[in-house]
Amino acid sequence: MTAGTAGDGAAMEDRIASYLRDQLHAADLVLSGVERIAVGWSHETWLFDATFTQDGVARTEGYCLRRDPGNALLREMSDLGTQFRVLRCLEPTAVPAPRGYFYEDDPAILDSPFLVMEKVPGVCPSPWGRDGRRFYEEAAARGELPRAFTDALVTLHTLDWEAAGLGFLGVPETGTGFAQSEVAKWKRLIESTGVEPDPILVDLIGWLEANAPATDRRALVHGAYRTGNFLCHEDRVSALLDWETEVIGDPMYDVAYVLSDLNREGTELLSNLVERDDFISRYEAGTGIEIDIDACNYYQVLYGMRSAAFWMSASGLYADGRNTDLRLARTAWSIPVVLDRAARDLGY
Amino acid sequence: MAPDELLARLSSTLRHDIGPAVVEPFPKTQAFMASVILEKLSAQIRLASTHTEAEAADLAALAADLPRLLGAAPVPPTVAAAVDRLTAGDGSAALSALVAALWAEREALGADRFQTVLGRARTTMRARIDRQMEFAA
Repeated sequence: MTAGTAGDGAAMEDRIASYLRDQLHAADLVLSGVERIAVGWSHETWLFDATFTQDGVARTEGYCLRRDPGNALLREMSDLGTQFRVLRCLEPTAVPAPRGYFYEDDPAILDSPFLVMEKVPGVCPSPWGRDGRRFYEEAAARGELPRAFTDALVTLHTLDWEAAGLGFLGVPETGTGFAQSEVAKWKRLIESTGVEPDPILVDLIGWLEANAPATDRRALVHGAYRTGNFLCHEDRVSALLDWETEVIGDPMYDVAYVLSDLNREGTELLSNLVERDDFISRYEAGTGIEIDIDACNYYQVLYGMRSAAFWMSASGLYADGRNTDLRLARTAWSIPVVLDRAARDLGY
Repeated sequence: MAPDELLARLSSTLRHDIGPAVVEPFPKTQAFMASVILEKLSAQIRLASTHTEAEAADLAALAADLPRLLGAAPVPPTVAAAVDRLTAGDGSAALSALVAALWAEREALGADRFQTVLGRARTTMRARIDRQMEFAA
């Protein structure tokens, strides 16, 4: 088996079990309910239960293993080692996140780097499908999950990230430092594709560099805070997922994502879940931060650049023959759609 | 059968005959994606000739307008070089170079000249993206 393939499922199951027997000092450990779930485009995700004896007591624990297939979207932007460190830093905090158990970068174990974390109870319906939309519509009607959605963001943005040890993510300079660093980051991803950028994308980058908002606000920013990127359990947010675009920066970056109409479909509810006014008032009351609409508008334009970078990278992975998933090939035609919107954002 | 028609027919077969017969979720999604891709490729190929002509005409018109819009004041070398590339028929890469040069030299150009020239380039970019949206949307 080579990096970039899921490998034979049964063989992978044996190798995971062998690894956990060593780590947990549990020779009798057996796995059950092993499932490779088809979520996200960045890492392979495996869920399973492990039953073993520890200190004479039989126990069963749920685990989630994420493995770097070596050819995934955003691989260059956020490695599993960084994600593992973030999870470990969050463990003693109130931020709902899975506990990180193990991280390995030795390819001898499972061919490529992987992390093992807690399997948190909950479901994560995609907001883009009919079933997911119905799930969030019903949850919105009950009212608890919309409040939990806002409260989890409040918890994230009020976290003392320095005390939590998250400064290793890099702290942007005050003033326009955060916005400039994000533009530079996505510009690097665009340049890494080796594709000549579309003139509208060049215009968009020029505008973003010239209009970066100045702010001294700093928080742990998730970077993709929306339905579909957290687990819901009994109308609570049981865990924030997809720690691939996390960054220390302006919390308005997340707020802009929540307010964006890109994250809802067929509804006025933000992220298919929460009334705009309710979100704003609850967020401001919980964080003590007044939402800066001008900054949000800027970050929404920045999300256009980020989307273009995503799709250029994704379609490039297919074009280069590094990934055979046709969903990536399809994104080549998403680039003009994103740029059409970006041009409208810039007034043409 | 013309290539675009063939691709459209393949797309339809994947969507209506092959995809529904696939049981496993991942291959089923792949069949549907292949259908979508072929549908877009079909439209792109059908429109390619018309779009190429329109693109060339738009870029030539832009190149013709730029000397007047830039006026008699000195033009920064990178902007002048991009205009030369456009005039030479270097296509959308020259347009990207022009836009990049305008943003980089906006102070040297002055606000009015920057806005005037960028606005004219944006008219060309709007027409260009409108054409792409005919097959991408």
